[in-house]
Amino acid sequence: MPANNITKKSIFVRKRFWFMLIAALIFLPPLSLFFQFTADSNFCGSWCPRMFFVWRKGMTISAYLLGFLRSYMGVALVFGILGSTFFFGRYWCSHLCPVGSTMEGGSRLLPKFLKINYSSVPAPSFRYGYLAVYFIASAVGIGSLCCNYCNFATVPRIFGAAFMPSDMSYFIRSAGLINLGLVVGLGFIAKGGRAYCNLLCPIGALDAISNRLGLKFGKRMSIDSEKCNGCNACAKVCPTWSIEVKEKKAAIDQLSCMPCRECEKVCAKEAINYDKHTG
Amino acid sequence: MTKKIMFFLFAVCISLLAATYRWTDSAHSIGLIKAKGGEARHASTLESGKDTYTLIATATVIPPYRGDARVVLEGDPELDYKIYSSDPVIDLKIRRQPKFKDNVLYDLRPKDRLALWVVIKPPVLDPVCNMTYQNEFTKEHMDGKDYFFCSDGCRATFMKNPQQYKGRENVRGNYTLAFYDTKTEKAVLRVPLIFKGKGETKDAGEQHH
Repeated sequence: MPANNITKKSIFVRKRFWFMLIAALIFLPPLSLFFQFTADSNFCGSWCPRMFFVWRKGMTISAYLLGFLRSYMGVALVFGILGSTFFFGRYWCSHLCPVGSTMEGGSRLLPKFLKINYSSVPAPSFRYGYLAVYFIASAVGIGSLCCNYCNFATVPRIFGAAFMPSDMSYFIRSAGLINLGLVVGLGFIAKGGRAYCNLLCPIGALDAISNRLGLKFGKRMSIDSEKCNGCNACAKVCPTWSIEVKEKKAAIDQLSCMPCRECEKVCAKEAINYDKHTG
Repeated sequence: MTKKIMFFLFAVCISLLAATYRWTDSAHSIGLIKAKGGEARHASTLESGKDTYTLIATATVIPPYRGDARVVLEGDPELDYKIYSSDPVIDLKIRRQPKFKDNVLYDLRPKDRLALWVVIKPPVLDPVCNMTYQNEFTKEHMDGKDYFFCSDGCRATFMKNPQQYKGRENVRGNYTLAFYDTKTEKAVLRVPLIFKGKGETKDAGEQHH
């Protein structure tokens, strides 16, 4: 009897689309289920994951800590994301984030000729330049990137605008239109749909650091270089352009990788696995 | 390595530009609703001359206040405005929330948090006497812009010295988004809103969504 070489893929590989869809349905309008437990209607308010850790010029320590209390669900979410990433990789980003899922899903629905390929941009360099200003601009009091440019405020309102005049109001402002432009340009019409996540998401930037720091302790996407033949198929499907093929061998940048496992799906040599990182 | 450094610096520059740019057609106010008057964290400033403005007014109810509050945008001349509440589309009634209807917040209770979106459409004014535009006004086109006048007198005054009056066709000055308790008619929060001329809006305060 011939050996069965076909390994059954994990549910996180086979059903990623469903994880993304369910997360979007739970978090986004019209249901906005989780937010209703805290009398909120979106990520703004107690679920805000992007403001509580930013120090603003002139604020006192008690005001800073009060921000943590005010956004208590956002605090729980961020620490939950960073903790789970440390051990298991960035599953929040790849499977559960409703905002990233929406942009990736939207990108998949659009034809290829509309897509912009951002893979020539060195993502970590751009991302941490943005993150540096994200922290410093508020701390020195010259401005803020927190709310003015936030896809966590924009994407839920894209869905809500069909039902709610308050959400529609978001897009009749200049800032709302710019945010919509960023979501479309770096999300919907980006190849892979994850350019916003990879370049401008402050949670993604912090999460990538947690991913890198926990490399030796947890599971990550890794490549068996013995099996890899450098065919480049994995690099082509990577939505965060974190795979590079050099000298016929692929390598993953753990500062950008999220375990969407699209590379694992297309690897004919089964050289890519989600496993304890070895090297 | 050079490419990485270049992109890092590019990101820093473009992000600095974005962070320091101030949107002047929208503002965010933060306030506390209190039985004895309430308080706004800062005045919200908008640049006059736009067609539409948005003010996002967020507030927290401070104990022991509870009641219903009517929300009004006050100032002269009157502005055309609509107020919307950020309620869930499908309200599963998991947690009680104050209800907003006909510009009244019903059943406010201690520690409630609310977010209202105020969409403002300012009227066009006669630049000389500042009367609000009416159908019988006459129009004068100058430098690619229409100006409207209530009378020939105002029109003649404007034409004599247009530079003195240009810009005054836009709403300027102080307004207030006031929250009045419907029983006592006393203000439980007053949010200052200032319309300033171009280049005068640097002190607009931190802008949130």
